[in-house]
Amino acid sequence: MRCKRRLRIGVTLFAGPLLLMAGCKTSADAAAAATQMATTAKSLCDYYTALKTILDNTDQLYLLNAQLYAKPYPAENRRQVKDTEAELEKRAELASDFSTLSAEFGKLTGSTAPADVATSASKLEGEVDTLASIKASSVEQAALKTAFQLLTTAIKEHKEREAAKAMDDATRGLSDLFAKETDVWNSTEVVYSSIGSTLAGNLVDGNATDNSALLKVALDPFGLSPVTASADLNAQLAPLAKQQIATKKADMDSAYEKATDAMTKSLQEMSQRIHTVAEDKPMAYRSAPLSVSTVEAWASQIMSTGSTTSATPASKPAK
Amino acid sequence: MANALTDVQNTFLSLDNQYNMLRAACKTDQDRANLAAKYTDAQKNYQTTLNKTLEDDDVQVAALSKALKAANSVVDQATKEMGDMSKVLDGITTAIDLGSKLIACA
Repeated sequence: MRCKRRLRIGVTLFAGPLLLMAGCKTSADAAAAATQMATTAKSLCDYYTALKTILDNTDQLYLLNAQLYAKPYPAENRRQVKDTEAELEKRAELASDFSTLSAEFGKLTGSTAPADVATSASKLEGEVDTLASIKASSVEQAALKTAFQLLTTAIKEHKEREAAKAMDDATRGLSDLFAKETDVWNSTEVVYSSIGSTLAGNLVDGNATDNSALLKVALDPFGLSPVTASADLNAQLAPLAKQQIATKKADMDSAYEKATDAMTKSLQEMSQRIHTVAEDKPMAYRSAPLSVSTVEAWASQIMSTGSTTSATPASKPAK
Repeated sequence: MANALTDVQNTFLSLDNQYNMLRAACKTDQDRANLAAKYTDAQKNYQTTLNKTLEDDDVQVAALSKALKAANSVVDQATKEMGDMSKVLDGITTAIDLGSKLIACA
């Protein structure tokens, strides 16, 4: 799943419907809201895609455990992991298409309602139906489906006010869906980091690692490299290797928690801002929610390296 | 959802964490086969719980969740003592059974 990068187009095109929503006097507010919404939807897609990478890595860890330590990983259990992975793919697709819809929405000018805009809204409606495997969020899925149904109808019937309200509802629905499923995705990350750190510890115990990498801090400043550690040196360094595993695991969990918290806040913030514009009220913010950069840094780190620790993102001004 | 899922998850992660040590302590092929079966069940329970709706404020879910917490503690303690392998396996079986009952509440 590659999250579509159509933000530049989206800023221009998406401003259209929000202008319809809010009236020309607040066009600057509408354009700003369009940018923020596009950015946040793309971050949500990145977040789900990164989680899918985590689940894929978990699958690989289970396979390694089966091969090395006789921990069973029967086909039925693997299918369940793959099913959950598919659920994440669907959510990434939904977030990506939501962004696309926003861009296409901009084509609604005057009394013209291009068929492809209604088709996109209808497609999202169908995509919500496919999320049903995660039952914890059934109520939120139903609300989101209703919002997309209303959106499709409003577009077809050229009812801009109703479309604005449906967009407002859809944005809130996306935020509510994310919040309701947070426990499931939190658990997915915890299981990954725990299974991974246990396996790494077992490999250290089994002398299957070269712990001489830990000597770099002492040798690098002097332009020296460690030799491959002997069995004795490896054993001496094993406690430090295990400490490093524990520290890295804590960093992974912490980076994930910060990204999830940031995603939650970004969606809630976006929902409030879109609601403000849809209600024809002034919206003062001029940049995406600050928290989006935290999500993007974490997701980018995972998708580029497969690692689940994250660098501290550069902050962006909130206003 | 959060508490019940975490409890089922902890049964699996605890067993995964201790698996190599427990397997080394098994004296017979039957013990090893039993242990492997428990691991499979714990993993399956966890994966199944991800897709279930378990409300923490449901009386039955809360009671089972509480019992599972206690069972997980018993397994942890029995694993630390490692005196009696059958006691450890019994504890794991109790925890997995409670997890299955929790899933049935969904």
